[in-house]
Amino acid sequence: MSKPDDPRASDPQDPEELRFHFTPSDEPKPEQETDNPHAKGTTRVPEVIEALRDEFGAAVLDVERYANEDTVYVEKRRIREICRFLKEEENFDYFIDLGGIDNFSEEDRYEVFYNLVSTERQKRIRLKIRVDEEDMRVPSVVEVYRAANWNEREAYDMFGFTFVDHPDPRRMYMPEDFEYHPLRKEFPQLGVPGSLPLPPQTPDGELTMDPFAAAHGSKPVKSYEEPATDSE
Amino acid sequence: MAGPSGGNGQGFFTTRVDALLNWARSNSLMPMPMGLACCAIEMMGFAGPKYDSARFGSEAMRFSPRQADLMIVAGWCSYKMSHAIRRVWDQMGDPKWCVAMGACASTGGMHRCYGVVQGVDNFLPVDVYISGCPPRPESVLHALMDIQEKIRNEYSVVQDYEFGKARERAPIMPENTSKFPGQLEKPKATDLTLEAPDTAADDAEGSSSVEPVAA
Repeated sequence: MSKPDDPRASDPQDPEELRFHFTPSDEPKPEQETDNPHAKGTTRVPEVIEALRDEFGAAVLDVERYANEDTVYVEKRRIREICRFLKEEENFDYFIDLGGIDNFSEEDRYEVFYNLVSTERQKRIRLKIRVDEEDMRVPSVVEVYRAANWNEREAYDMFGFTFVDHPDPRRMYMPEDFEYHPLRKEFPQLGVPGSLPLPPQTPDGELTMDPFAAAHGSKPVKSYEEPATDSE
Repeated sequence: MAGPSGGNGQGFFTTRVDALLNWARSNSLMPMPMGLACCAIEMMGFAGPKYDSARFGSEAMRFSPRQADLMIVAGWCSYKMSHAIRRVWDQMGDPKWCVAMGACASTGGMHRCYGVVQGVDNFLPVDVYISGCPPRPESVLHALMDIQEKIRNEYSVVQDYEFGKARERAPIMPENTSKFPGQLEKPKATDLTLEAPDTAADDAEGSSSVEPVAA
């Protein structure tokens, strides 16, 4: 099990020693950019990024490289054209994932990431766009990748992006009349009291607005009423 | 007979019919498997041949609420699902019982968040809670036995035919239930204090202070 050349294996002389390869959150060290033992190089696509730069020029804002993986920040307005270019010219035929990120920062608060895979060249690419709080509109890529449909609905549900030209802009998880977007940083973890009603306590009663009704003394009754106990 | 014949209606006849009814009901519970998450897998083990809930007469899971009388809420319940669960519960015919299986159904468990109901007892009358994440099938069997114990101590005839004052006077639990929560023991006759009958000599035994309970 403990091969000596395995960087994750503990020292045979000192098996209690634990070695961590933690992921720093801010600036990666130079050697980690290439020598990260977890990096596989599948998300390293310099030739595709060059092709993107040639085609779109300034719309490719910047390229980050961490743990041997490329992240391409592109302009929000042109995301659909870029996706279409990647699909039709660069054979990124497989749409993996799309989602939102809330950085809770003053400007460019949100990000939307797109993970694409080229099954032909067996490479991945990660695109990111920055979305400001003032303008939550994002061009929908459903026209290019039909698989993005539900992912965009989920991102709308959780963060409140408005996906322009989405064919079915409904919420994914929460009820249609829910007023909040739960994955935003300011949303309280236990929810907003009264925003999600519970069912009535009796078959023909009102909806229960208190999510902790039981803790506040509510005892739902059966229509088959239990008799009182001796202790009461 | 089974009607309000003074006292709490607990004559010789009703207690004997209770014994028969409760015996029948408790040994033929038809669970409605409200399987919502991983607890449902353990519930399948509970119904399967190894743990064999057929020994307790409740091997027949009923997927129609009209045919079930025991709802096992197994798994975490979201706010969206809670309305469906309540609707299924309301469609079940009386008498009916409810088991909250596992930490999530009982309290919300590890899902302390905006989308998961923090315990199904916020909208359902739960009879028995099962701890565990997920509980072993033995725990579900234990809960089933607790439900059976509860049924055997019910005054079914009075409950079925008489809604009103009498049902509030019918004791179901012995006093020691509060001392040992979770232990559903049969009421002991000497611990029971029933109210004096409105009319004297309402039943065959004359005195109702030491009423034999249905067992």
